[in-house]
Amino acid sequence: MHIIEARNINKTVRSVDGDLTIIESLDLNVEEGTSIAIVGASGSGKSTLLALLAGLDVPSSGQIKLAGDDITSMDEEGRAQVRAKSVGFVFQSFQLLPGLSALENVMLPLELHGVADAGGRAKTYLERVGLSHRINHYPKQLSGGEQQRVAIARAFASEPKVLFADEPTGNLDSATGLKVIELLFDLNVEQKTTLVLVTHEQRLADRCQRQITLSAGDVVSDLNSSNAAIGLELSE
Amino acid sequence: MNELKLSLKLLWRNWRSGELKVLASAIVLAVTVVTAIAVFADRMDRSLQRQSNAYLAADRVISGRFPIPEDWQTYIDESAIEQSRTARFSSMVFAGNEMQLASIKAVAEGYPLRGTLEVSDVPFALGNDVVAAQGIPKSGEVWVDSRLLPILGVELGDTLSVGNKDFRISQVVIHEPDGGQGFSIAGPRVMMNYQDMDDTGVVQPGSRIFYRWLLSGEEPALEQLVDNITPVLGDHYRIRTLQDSQRSISSALDRGKSFLMLSGMIGVLLAGVAIAIAAQQFAERNVDAVALFKSLGASAVKVRRLYFSQLVALGLLSSFAGLVTGEILHRFIASSLATLFNVVLIGASWQAYGLGIFTGLVSLLCFALPPLWPLPKISPVRVLRREINIEQLSVWTRGLIGLAAVVLLIGLYSRDLQLTLTVVVGLIGILAIAVSLSLVLLNSSRQLGSKAGSTWRLAMSNLRRNRGHSSTQIVVFSCALMLLMVLFTVRTSLIDEWRLQLPENAPNHFVLNINASERDPITEEFEARNFEFNPLYPMVLGRLVGKNEYRYQEDDRHTSDSLQRELNLSWADELAPDNEIVDGQWWDQWQPNDAEYGVSIEYQTAQELGAKVGDELHFSLGGLELKATIASIRTVDWDALTPNFYFLFSPGALEGYSPTYLTSVYVPNQDKRFINEFLRKYPTLVILEVDRIIDRIKAIVDQVSRGIELVLWVVLLGGVLVLIAAVSASMARRMQEASILRALGSGGKLIVGSLWIEFSVLGFFSGLMAAAGAELILYFLQSEIFGQTAYFHGLMWLIGPVAGSIFIGALGAFACRRTVTVAPALVLRELQS
Repeated sequence: MHIIEARNINKTVRSVDGDLTIIESLDLNVEEGTSIAIVGASGSGKSTLLALLAGLDVPSSGQIKLAGDDITSMDEEGRAQVRAKSVGFVFQSFQLLPGLSALENVMLPLELHGVADAGGRAKTYLERVGLSHRINHYPKQLSGGEQQRVAIARAFASEPKVLFADEPTGNLDSATGLKVIELLFDLNVEQKTTLVLVTHEQRLADRCQRQITLSAGDVVSDLNSSNAAIGLELSE
Repeated sequence: MNELKLSLKLLWRNWRSGELKVLASAIVLAVTVVTAIAVFADRMDRSLQRQSNAYLAADRVISGRFPIPEDWQTYIDESAIEQSRTARFSSMVFAGNEMQLASIKAVAEGYPLRGTLEVSDVPFALGNDVVAAQGIPKSGEVWVDSRLLPILGVELGDTLSVGNKDFRISQVVIHEPDGGQGFSIAGPRVMMNYQDMDDTGVVQPGSRIFYRWLLSGEEPALEQLVDNITPVLGDHYRIRTLQDSQRSISSALDRGKSFLMLSGMIGVLLAGVAIAIAAQQFAERNVDAVALFKSLGASAVKVRRLYFSQLVALGLLSSFAGLVTGEILHRFIASSLATLFNVVLIGASWQAYGLGIFTGLVSLLCFALPPLWPLPKISPVRVLRREINIEQLSVWTRGLIGLAAVVLLIGLYSRDLQLTLTVVVGLIGILAIAVSLSLVLLNSSRQLGSKAGSTWRLAMSNLRRNRGHSSTQIVVFSCALMLLMVLFTVRTSLIDEWRLQLPENAPNHFVLNINASERDPITEEFEARNFEFNPLYPMVLGRLVGKNEYRYQEDDRHTSDSLQRELNLSWADELAPDNEIVDGQWWDQWQPNDAEYGVSIEYQTAQELGAKVGDELHFSLGGLELKATIASIRTVDWDALTPNFYFLFSPGALEGYSPTYLTSVYVPNQDKRFINEFLRKYPTLVILEVDRIIDRIKAIVDQVSRGIELVLWVVLLGGVLVLIAAVSASMARRMQEASILRALGSGGKLIVGSLWIEFSVLGFFSGLMAAAGAELILYFLQSEIFGQTAYFHGLMWLIGPVAGSIFIGALGAFACRRTVTVAPALVLRELQS
């Protein structure tokens, strides 16, 4: 079953030099429970595509279905509901709120959606990412890797169907990045989440079952990654 | 319910992270200032009303020339209203071979219902010898004015006769609450029991007797009584209200109140500016959070609800805190003032407290909501693309909302359209001037910068690069400084004026009834003792009997006080310094035409009589008629406690009418005994002591001044809060710039130096513009609101820029000290997260 279906989507934006096409006539289906990496050079439209698929932004034309809902025919309120129900995010810049402790950052989406025992569930996930000893620390007291682990705990705590990750290792050194990758994929497998990630990093892309390469807003290659399959098998 | 809990949780987290402290402090400040002032003013008003009533010796007085009809008793609800009576008349009193015309006052049980009757066993007593009277004179006893004793050559315990009845003099009267302050030469007071009045046999049909029915009690019952009794009063009775005797005190307090109101407004405005800046900062810092909320699936409606309820909760909590601090502050002011009143300060009405809460919520909504408004509209894509701009409400919309709030609050608070408009126009003016001038000044600083050393160059280029920000800061700084300068100047000139009005040696005795032959010896005696005294004014008693062709009738008497009694008429060559001609000409420019004599008439009296320049007035002086044409209409400063007259004639007009003279003199406390001797020597003199009135006014002025100073400091705190808010709004940018500079190897000295210069230059320009704006507002305030003479405040133009650059320079450098003490890497990382 396709958890994401994108049909003939286009995205153009106004700029000083006239209309600029970022995504052009793109079709994409993503199977539920799989992992897919979107790769490409800077400016190829990777992040825009991620935003469109996640319902953070709307295409200029075309149709996108996310977890069965046609998010392109919805208003912002409707898309917000779909995001609340089905989507989690991990960002390059972590996007932790500086005034909130690690625990409170993880609790935030649960509280927003009115989940009972937000604290308990958040603690469980912080434990799962290995930060049970730092739950009361604030982001500025944590290292980059730790901050991203808090972000991963936050993303998985609301048990989303699809997890979107935008350059999750972009701000981390190589060793830390590796640990974060492991964690991301472990949880992905554990929770049978669909993982859509944008990355520059080949070793991260290689861990995904599928890799699509964008260039000038169009898919130029769509490959199933053998490494990913192996990784998947291994971890299973 | 869950959402409310979440809002409160978010509010707590925002508070903990320090995001809300400036915002909350600003609200607390606004509510504190408004509550303290509104509650204090309200209590003062109510207490003054009560205090004023003391001057009537009751809450209401019905007076007339005939006894109060017995059947009027039926109008009184005795459970709610207390009553008493007085009757006043002139009669000769005798002791041995001596006699004297005295002003007799018969008082009934319960007198005075308000205020205190002060008596003593010692004639001319002061200080501890004076006590509050227990009741009224017993039947067969009288209490008398001290000055009657030397005139009649008697002492306490001796006998005095009024008509057919003998009385024992048992005490001296020092002060009657309803004694008044006007001149009366009806003679010294003899106070007797109301029941003894008939036994004297002096009260005959047709006698001139002034009856008073004193009433006090609960306000609703009194109002009911007045409503019921007014239709039956007829021409012979009237309801008396507060007399001119109170004018000095109430005008001092009125101005004090206007000032407090002004301070309150300025406090609210300053707090409003601080709220707006703090909210802007809060909004900027919450952009990422909102984008994150939305990416996590929170809808715009939910975000709006979450933030709105945080705002309302913050408003309510801060307003409550403000209410508490305001209450403490007002108690502080009130406790010292309360000691001055015989009655305890009456509690404030709930409206005064309501105004405090209302101010908190309105300033929060109008000043804080506009910057926060676009928050829910932030696109969730911002979590991925931080460069996306946030759509702000237009400057005009925000300005209009802010302006509406300012007008609403000031208007509601001052209930004075003129004052509101003055401040609003002043503010708009300075905003316009400040924005345009600051851009010009910042541009011209380029030249200065290019010729200076590297520290100056860095500072100047900083200012220029952030021109928009710098000019906003100049506008904010100059508004704050301007408002503070206005407040300081008004306060200083107000207090100075009061002091000037009541100099140390203000005349404390009026001397009346001086014969022509006594003029020179009395003047010499005053000079020998070094007493300060005013020139001797001639005075003739007379009645006003007609205007032009018309003769006044009995029915006209109620139209003006000047038709009800004998008038003190005088003449003068020179216009007294506290008098001002509002129509017509003083004698030196007056064209008499056919008129033989001219008269200058007091403004209020002219209004009551409907008299204008050129009208001919007819006076009756001891049976002789005198005609005089109105040459001018004058305003008189009754506060000045110097002799003043309703009617002043052209020189020579009264010469044939054997005038007596009057003057006012300052007799030092240690020379009080002199008055006794003086009266023995000149038994026909009438001396009125006004020390008590002066002391009372002085004490009240002192206390109100102290209250004003306290409020001023609170408002000053508001100014500092604005400055802190404005500086901290630019903190993130400054930290980042300084860290980059330091990372590139610049020394701390260079950075701190340039910060000092940058803020000092901002402060200098702000101070300059603040002086200009303050001058403008002061001109209107002093000439229109406080009725003072507007003048140029040269010192302000010097102090403004100098204090501005030192204070803002220091504040800026202090606030930004972290830019050089914290490791650059840490700063950069913190800012990034």
